[in-house]
Amino acid sequence: MTPEPLLKRWCAGVFAALAVALVLAQTWYRTAEVRLAGVLVDAVTSTGVHVAARRQTVYFGLGGDTPFGLRMTPECTSAFLLVPLLLVAALMVGLRPGVTGRVAVALLAAAVAVVVVNQLRVLTLVGLIGWLGTDRGYYWGHTLFGSMVSVFGGAAALVLFVALATRAAR
Amino acid sequence: MTVELVLGLTQALALTMSVAFVSYVCVIVVPFLRHRPRPDGDPAAFRWHFLVPCLDEEAVIGDTVRYLRREFPQADVWVVDDDSFDGTVAEVTRLRDDRVHLVRRRLPAARRGKGDALNAGYRALLASLDDFADPDLVVVAVVDADGRPAANCLAACAAEHLFGDPAVGAVQIDVRMGNRDAGGSWFGRALVRMQDLEFRTAIAAIQLSRRYSGTISMGGNGQFTRLTALMTVDDGDSGAPWRGSLLEDFELGVHLLTAGWRTAFTVDTHVDQEALPHLRRFLAQRTRWGQGTMQCARYLRRIWSSRHISTLGAAEMLYYLAQPWLQLLGTLVYPVPFVLLAVRASHEPEVVWGWLTGGAWILFVLYGTFGLLPFLIWGPIYRRRCEHRSGVLRGLGYGVLYALYILSFYLTSWRALCRLVRGHDGWVKTARNASTEAGPVRAP
Repeated sequence: MTPEPLLKRWCAGVFAALAVALVLAQTWYRTAEVRLAGVLVDAVTSTGVHVAARRQTVYFGLGGDTPFGLRMTPECTSAFLLVPLLLVAALMVGLRPGVTGRVAVALLAAAVAVVVVNQLRVLTLVGLIGWLGTDRGYYWGHTLFGSMVSVFGGAAALVLFVALATRAAR
Repeated sequence: MTVELVLGLTQALALTMSVAFVSYVCVIVVPFLRHRPRPDGDPAAFRWHFLVPCLDEEAVIGDTVRYLRREFPQADVWVVDDDSFDGTVAEVTRLRDDRVHLVRRRLPAARRGKGDALNAGYRALLASLDDFADPDLVVVAVVDADGRPAANCLAACAAEHLFGDPAVGAVQIDVRMGNRDAGGSWFGRALVRMQDLEFRTAIAAIQLSRRYSGTISMGGNGQFTRLTALMTVDDGDSGAPWRGSLLEDFELGVHLLTAGWRTAFTVDTHVDQEALPHLRRFLAQRTRWGQGTMQCARYLRRIWSSRHISTLGAAEMLYYLAQPWLQLLGTLVYPVPFVLLAVRASHEPEVVWGWLTGGAWILFVLYGTFGLLPFLIWGPIYRRRCEHRSGVLRGLGYGVLYALYILSFYLTSWRALCRLVRGHDGWVKTARNASTEAGPVRAP
């Protein structure tokens, strides 16, 4: 095997290793995710935000009457949504090394989409809590709207991944 | 690993698999609903040969051959008898027709699967052709012993976009269940109806969408292949274009595609076959198909390394071949949140009840809707496109039934895995309804 295909096959191993690493380092990932959420929530609200990184929790509305904290649990993180994408990418590159570049771009785009969608979910929750109050806002934001954002966002990320990874070479 | 972590992982996997499936169904529904019939071609431009593999088909073979000769007088019929115990040979011999050919196989060389029987018919057909026959213009059609190809099938297959296109090596036609309006118990009728719905909507939609990925697969009945294409994939010129897995039809498609042929599918014509009204035989058939799909995973490398198959096509075939494995994974992953919830409910019933009534019920409605919709939609689509006589409510009822029908695949995938692990790959062929109604079928 020439060095180039060998290198590309190594990429398959890297993707698979990344999937394992995401599971093992999910606490670290959730911490990073909640820090990003803190920055974004701070940008769209004016009542004060605090990130308790060790508890993977973002507090907002601190200057108001109803401060609230959202914890990024393993059920809420986007980390595990990236795992299947990484495994499929590893399989594709392992079976057809020639698509490594396209798959890497597709993976990057889909990963960005998944992360953005999860941040959108957090922002939706924050917005609804601010608008409808703590109980009703959390109820609608966490159950209905949050789930809708996950399903449609997840679908968009998957379609994006498939479209970019399988597009014909020019 | 904590419970939270398990829950997070399984939920993410379940969400990904469900979302992938919902997206896939959205993609395949569109070309199916947009399909419009295409003009027929001239069947006289080709020479047609029907291959009918038989193993204990006494109950049906006579009528089938008479039907084929009556509807398609220009075609030859090759009946390949796989050393039947019953009167199959006598039925065929009695017909006394120059264009009906009987190919007899004997044990121990016989009964080695449908692929072997088809290969014997193929060799006999090749030997019969004169030197002037152009294999590009010879088409071999595989029909089951109870198959009834529609009267327009040769004209439809000769269409400009099918065999009229020299790049097309094979055409699979739509499959319908001829006994869909037959009587019987309500369960038997429902099972038959679901098989008809499955083939005429979901499977037809998958096949039509494969035009874009270039990966239309072959089925076991109503499979038309250009002789040149068969010769191209003939295993080392040994007279064996069909291989030995339990899904010899899918295998043939893979070999044709990787050899550079295009495959096509049409709903402009169809073949009627008998659906199975008995659960036990239905589960056995689907277990065999599941095991065959699992066996065909060995072709993944061949598919992905072929320059004739696009990455989209290879990904589509990967998704198809992954189906039984995803069903296995699904049976492990989908129940996890429910099990954990049940465990918690047994310890803290008030908390769980409060959580459910406080709004979490909406999650169940939401995920239930997303889980069921990809199956439910086929009921109304079936009513609209295939069975206009049915009412709207009946169409919805078909959709609900279809969602339940699909659950059987979770069982058959596990059965298929057990057989695969134990190395059991021999199968008693599915008995015809006419045979079982007449009495027990003898084991080969």
